[in-house]
Amino acid sequence: MATYTVHVTIENKPGISDPEGETILNDLVLKGSHKSVSKIKTAKMLKFTIKEKDKKTAGKKIQEICDELRIYNPMVSKVTIDVFD
Amino acid sequence: MSLEPQEIVDLKSKIGREPTSTELQIVAAEWSEHCSYKSSKKHLKMLPMTGPLVISEKGYDSGVLDVGDGYVITAHIESHNHPSAVEPYGGAATGVGGVIRDILSAGTRPIAIFDGLRFGNIEKDPQARWLFKNAVTGIADYGNCLGIPTIGGEVEFDECYSNYALVDVAAVGFGKKENLIKNHANKGDLVVLMGGATGRDGIGGSQFASDSLESENRSAVQIPDPFIEKLIIEAILEARNHHLIKALKDLGGGGLSCALSETADTLGIGIEMDVDKVHTREPGMDPDEIMISESQERMLIITSKQKLKKLQEICKKFRIACSVIGHVTSGNLLHVKKGNKTFANISTEIVANAPLLDRTSKKPAYLETIQKEKKLRPISNFSKTMMALISSPNIASKIWVYGQYDHEVGIRTVVKPGQDASVLRLDNGKFLSVKIDGNPKHCYINPREGAIGCFEEACRNVVCTGARPIGMLDHLQFGNPENPEIFWTFLESLKGITDFAKYFKIPCIGGKVSLYNETPAGPIKPTPLIGVLGLIDKNSLISPKVEDEDCLIIIGDTKNELGGSEYYEYIHHFVGGNCPIVDFKESKRNMETVLHVIKKGIIKNAHDCSKGGLAVGAFELCMTNQIGCQISLDKVPGEKLDSDKILFSESHSRYLLVVEKKNFQKLETILQKNKVSYRMIGKFGGNKIQFNRGKKSLIDLSVDKAQKAWINSLRELVLNG
Repeated sequence: MATYTVHVTIENKPGISDPEGETILNDLVLKGSHKSVSKIKTAKMLKFTIKEKDKKTAGKKIQEICDELRIYNPMVSKVTIDVFD
Repeated sequence: MSLEPQEIVDLKSKIGREPTSTELQIVAAEWSEHCSYKSSKKHLKMLPMTGPLVISEKGYDSGVLDVGDGYVITAHIESHNHPSAVEPYGGAATGVGGVIRDILSAGTRPIAIFDGLRFGNIEKDPQARWLFKNAVTGIADYGNCLGIPTIGGEVEFDECYSNYALVDVAAVGFGKKENLIKNHANKGDLVVLMGGATGRDGIGGSQFASDSLESENRSAVQIPDPFIEKLIIEAILEARNHHLIKALKDLGGGGLSCALSETADTLGIGIEMDVDKVHTREPGMDPDEIMISESQERMLIITSKQKLKKLQEICKKFRIACSVIGHVTSGNLLHVKKGNKTFANISTEIVANAPLLDRTSKKPAYLETIQKEKKLRPISNFSKTMMALISSPNIASKIWVYGQYDHEVGIRTVVKPGQDASVLRLDNGKFLSVKIDGNPKHCYINPREGAIGCFEEACRNVVCTGARPIGMLDHLQFGNPENPEIFWTFLESLKGITDFAKYFKIPCIGGKVSLYNETPAGPIKPTPLIGVLGLIDKNSLISPKVEDEDCLIIIGDTKNELGGSEYYEYIHHFVGGNCPIVDFKESKRNMETVLHVIKKGIIKNAHDCSKGGLAVGAFELCMTNQIGCQISLDKVPGEKLDSDKILFSESHSRYLLVVEKKNFQKLETILQKNKVSYRMIGKFGGNKIQFNRGKKSLIDLSVDKAQKAWINSLRELVLNG
């Protein structure tokens, strides 16, 4: 058993609007002089620490937990899971 | 796409050629049940829609009532059931947004929001809890950000909504009569789209709402943005003040397709537009997608060339995107182009007027036996039953819900949520009282009498604040209308509502029909919802605290009507029995009498008996006033019944009045003169709520214990399961 850090990133699916990201872009970033920025998307990240036998199982377990506990809504959100040693 | 084969044939013969793909999309959106009302339109005509206070103009999305002194109120009701069932937070929030824009489109400022929420059994079903919790948060976040108070509504749970949600939102607006938008347009006027960018979200939403909900068909999700909505409200009202708006329409179900074709059809104009001019959120959207996208927070404005500049300045000031997407033409064609290429060119008269259907109806078989009573096990401990009832999700205090809503912003709220109906102060010194009510348990047992009961209950609630009902909104929610038995229940409810509205001369000023409300387990129970608006000319009844020695009087007869009651269904798990029936004459007499005694200032408090009957009504009075009461069941007027039936019967037209001892004589004189059935049944005092029959004590509970359970149980259930 080893300890892994698992990052779960939850963001709106592509094509679904992201008012928070748009507001940060328009009202903060572009109002300064950072014209090279073209897009900002907001996301929520959960950092899990988990004991599992390998990296793959750790990722799978976290995915199961998120699905079971409705940590995100699959209709709206895209979820990315990254596992770190 | 959801056009029936017959409808495609119809369309071809009407336009005399093959429709283009864009035309098919536009027609499919507009001919969906959600937009066209093709099953219900023929029948909705039976409702009385005119009255001395009703102002009707073409193209209004909301009902308008004249409240005197040059002021009007507007009101509308909408539902967002399908979207909320898959994404409760966004679905409920965008539902609020949509109904607010309907209020705005008449040129009035939205001043209050109401919501009616229905879910499955939250005691057993975690999915129902999740839907409930998130729908409430969605409404709270959206309404609170806009600075519009959410001041009333209702929450109900029933197995028939398992894996589903009914989210109904009503809104009320207020403004000056002279500022109402008089929808009109002339050739050469400009068509402007303002607000949020058009994206791929919510594509095909109106068709989605017209299909039964199946798990693979859950693509239409809309994301709320209350801050744009707030800017739109302010920008539109400023543009209105500068007389820049000739016609105004909210983009709701069916997106641009419906907004353009309906506007063109009602105003008798044609519209030519270029999809390249629409500001989109992402590149590469094709014309079909742009036409039927249901992206939120968008408004369609028709303005003249001279006034465009000023309108653009206002939009710029509020930092809202606005684009001129086309212009008004003569004739009645909706001409959709992309650059020079034509994608659709079709008569709006054809698009906006779907072929109406004659659905067949048949009395459902289950109704033959459902009114049969069953021998129920006798109650051995009424105090225990009472505790169970006041802690049950349908009866427990909804403070966990309305506590999350800002219900005072705007400083109009005179009577806050938690009472029979909330009351708003209007600028002309009058007061507006509003309530929405539904009762699917009654409507399931008797669709006609149940619907009438909802209407009467909403009236009773409004009357308890001292307001006279002046208008109503109806929201008719049923399952799949292609099933004759379901369509029969729809027609029966509608006929009942019509009869009541005509008898009481309360015009229907707006409404909505939502069909195809089906869960994986079958159709929902018939759920008509009635909103009643009442006007108070002078002072609203603001109830002073109930004190020792005050008397409790009941008006109206208690009958053997427990079918669909909380007592039968929650305590005995029995669905059936006699549905309460409203006697129109008695109802009117009681209503007029209560209004009269409130106006005279004789009584301290008026409360209606509804869910849970007399027992729950009296408990609510005691718990909100933190005072005990000793009540004798022998004195309750009506049929001679068993104790449990007197306590929990849900007969209509009953009111509980609280009067100071010294005023009882005065009250009695009026009640006798009006030939109202009444009795003094109890006296307030002490800290125990006691119900006795003869010498036998039936219920004996301390106010504190009851109040604690009543206030906390819903929150406990939602948060801790």
